[in-house]
Amino acid sequence: MNSNTSKTEKSFTFAGRRKKYALITVAVVLLMAAVVWLLQSRLLNSSFFTGYVFIGSLFFLAGLNLRKRLSFLPKIGSASFWMQLHIYVGLSTFAMFAMHVKWRIPDGGLEIFLSCLYFFVALSGVYGLYVTKILPKRLTAVNEEIIFERIPAFRQKLAAQARAIVLEACETSEVLAKFYSNRLIYFFERPRSLAYMVSPSGSKRRQLVGEIEALDRFLGEDQRAASRKLAGLVRQKDDLDFHRAIQGRLKIWLFAHIGVTYSLLIVAVVHGVMAHAFSGATP
Amino acid sequence: MPQSPTIIEKPQRWDQPLDPQLNDDIASRLIQLEPFALMDESAFSKNVPLRGILKNDCRLIEFNKGDIIVREGDYGSSAFLIVEGEALVSLKKIPQSVLGRDPVEPKSFMETIAQLWSNSKHSEARNFETGGAPKDDAIGERVDDGQTRIFLHDIPRVIPAGQSVKLHKGEIFGEISALTRTPRSATVVANTTTYILEIRWQGFRELLKRNDAMRLHIESQYRENSLRSHLREIELLKDLPQDSIDTISALTVFESYGSFEWNQNFQSTKQKDIAARVLSEPVIAQQGEYVDGLILIRNGFARLSRSRGDGQQTIAYLGKGQAFGLRELNHNWQTSQQRPWALSLRAVGYVDILKIPTSAVEQFVLPNVNSALLPPLFPEADMISNRRKVSRAQSLDQNLMEFLVGRRYINGSQAMVIDLDRCTRCDDCVRACASTHDNNPRFVRHGEKHDHWMIANACMHCMDPVCMIGCPTGAIGRSEETGIVSINDGTCVGCSTCANSCPYDNIRMVEINNAKGLPILAADHETPILKATKCDLCADQASGPACQNACPHDALVRIDLSTPDDMISVANR
Repeated sequence: MNSNTSKTEKSFTFAGRRKKYALITVAVVLLMAAVVWLLQSRLLNSSFFTGYVFIGSLFFLAGLNLRKRLSFLPKIGSASFWMQLHIYVGLSTFAMFAMHVKWRIPDGGLEIFLSCLYFFVALSGVYGLYVTKILPKRLTAVNEEIIFERIPAFRQKLAAQARAIVLEACETSEVLAKFYSNRLIYFFERPRSLAYMVSPSGSKRRQLVGEIEALDRFLGEDQRAASRKLAGLVRQKDDLDFHRAIQGRLKIWLFAHIGVTYSLLIVAVVHGVMAHAFSGATP
Repeated sequence: MPQSPTIIEKPQRWDQPLDPQLNDDIASRLIQLEPFALMDESAFSKNVPLRGILKNDCRLIEFNKGDIIVREGDYGSSAFLIVEGEALVSLKKIPQSVLGRDPVEPKSFMETIAQLWSNSKHSEARNFETGGAPKDDAIGERVDDGQTRIFLHDIPRVIPAGQSVKLHKGEIFGEISALTRTPRSATVVANTTTYILEIRWQGFRELLKRNDAMRLHIESQYRENSLRSHLREIELLKDLPQDSIDTISALTVFESYGSFEWNQNFQSTKQKDIAARVLSEPVIAQQGEYVDGLILIRNGFARLSRSRGDGQQTIAYLGKGQAFGLRELNHNWQTSQQRPWALSLRAVGYVDILKIPTSAVEQFVLPNVNSALLPPLFPEADMISNRRKVSRAQSLDQNLMEFLVGRRYINGSQAMVIDLDRCTRCDDCVRACASTHDNNPRFVRHGEKHDHWMIANACMHCMDPVCMIGCPTGAIGRSEETGIVSINDGTCVGCSTCANSCPYDNIRMVEINNAKGLPILAADHETPILKATKCDLCADQASGPACQNACPHDALVRIDLSTPDDMISVANR
């Protein structure tokens, strides 16, 4: 059977691909700079040239999302290929923007708004590039692999298990039950705080497990077994929260990046129309 | 309180007979028939007597005229003996649709585009009109004693006169497929009311072992029909003169190790400690022992390992067509030394091997083969513990290799491997899969992990497709051209045989709905209609596997794990 992995050819490496695309990007930017210099040296207005290339690039960049939805279309390149184009064309738009505004800070209201939208989308793209390289490794480091949409169901399951353990243990002593109602019930039954979502850490997990272990001297043998199970569930719940925070960040970033892109495209078109309308006799 | 162990009867080979209804009376009558009547019962062991084989390893099946007994391309582990009646072996290639399969044609451009709006809004929606019955009008379906049978309405229409061979009472068929785990080479149809004795491979092998005449007959058939061409396909032997091939063919020994039914106890085997698991694998060649021949893997997989402390360290794995022992044989031939096996070879699951004796290799192969094909000699020092140089495995992480072999992922020719260090869990792969399968994803982005690699629960289109054994309607089949294993939804009767057989849990049984999302029920108005579903590698899409194409981060690949090459390439990107 033929392997479908054309991208797994022996000669292929990510480093090689990065080098190739980076060189092409620099060459394209230099070419564009040369064209702008040529236009300006002939006292022509380069704004329409840079503007059209820029807005064309923005629409092309937005095309990645469309490509993802048309995964069944043949001969349009894989999503991975489009993503590489997206990254390098996206990076080159910084140079396009600079050439288009002629290295000055825009002064008109619409232009400032448009620039803000552009920088939000572009910088969120750079942030996305960073987090998509870093965060998957942090998720992989967690033992369990959890599908985002199933997290609420897992949370309920863990909460039910914790409740059952405590109910069974409280038949002989109420130490564990009281600790559960004071310290654990919200931890198990609710998602973590916004602060944790922004910056997840293992401090709560360490704290709770430490507190559970410290209860050992008040517990009998059976209840110690129950407390160890409870500590295991705390670790699982913390892993679950960690997945929610990290996967959530990966999703929210993309949502924001794509959402503002649409605004950027609309305002960019308005800007283009107005530029043409008010261009007058500019050569 | 001290805990006492659970005491049960020691499990015996025949605790689960193939056909519980086959009693002593029927076995006594069968033993009167040829070829059993010609067998010497005293040649069989006390534990596995001939009568016991007939009673426990056999099943008597009645077929009506036109019933399909075996289909070309099916996998199976049984041979068949005609007890009464007559069967036709078709010499003509029968259309896939007649065999219950659905030849997959790639969608046209417009059909591809139409998926944007024509996919169902409901899960597992089916067109009720085509929900169950076979599509081809040449065949019919009936249920006989709980078994689904597919039959030809009109035999000559499908198998014209002169394009078939008749098999009569006492003749055996399907034995080569049963012994070598290869697809059936022809379709066999009952030509009258026919009684067939199905003999499962364990019993059939015992019969061959205890009956020289039968064994020699089967072996000579195999040597005559398949072995020579098989030997010719091997790189090392392909340029040898014909008379050398003939002699090698006559001297070659067939051996089998492990169990065909490896999938049945796979889940429990997987739980075992890896050291114990490796040591429990049948040894084909033992490190340090005398080299008695060149071993060629005919089917299945074998683990190459070397002793390390009290355990075995996996060095590589060998699959169909690969050879073991050439380096030792070449070394001994050129230096006149008697170097033993440098490594051990163990059966992973089951393995069929061909062994060409050392004398034949030295006389016919080594003097005539291109020296570029021969491996280098061993260095003088460190005779036995010298590590074998297996170039394919050089850069594959040792523990990853153990993981792939131990979990039998090496069976996968199109395994879905996800690099979790690159995967952003965006599920674009799942959405792409759904969009090409009427909004029903055909895999789960979940599976066993090793380090940052995940083997997702997606059909791997295995080299040894155990899921294909036992399908009563032939709905699950493998494409000869692409090797893709796919299920024909129209002829699947929802018996779950394939899903239960899949050792990797990659086939899901689903309850189907009509176009309005309401369940489709059987005539009793209660039983939901089930269908087996799995990844078909987007065989009907011109774009190829949508999952791989949709991954923007190069995290998901579909690769062949039957050799380490693809995995090495992916790991070294």
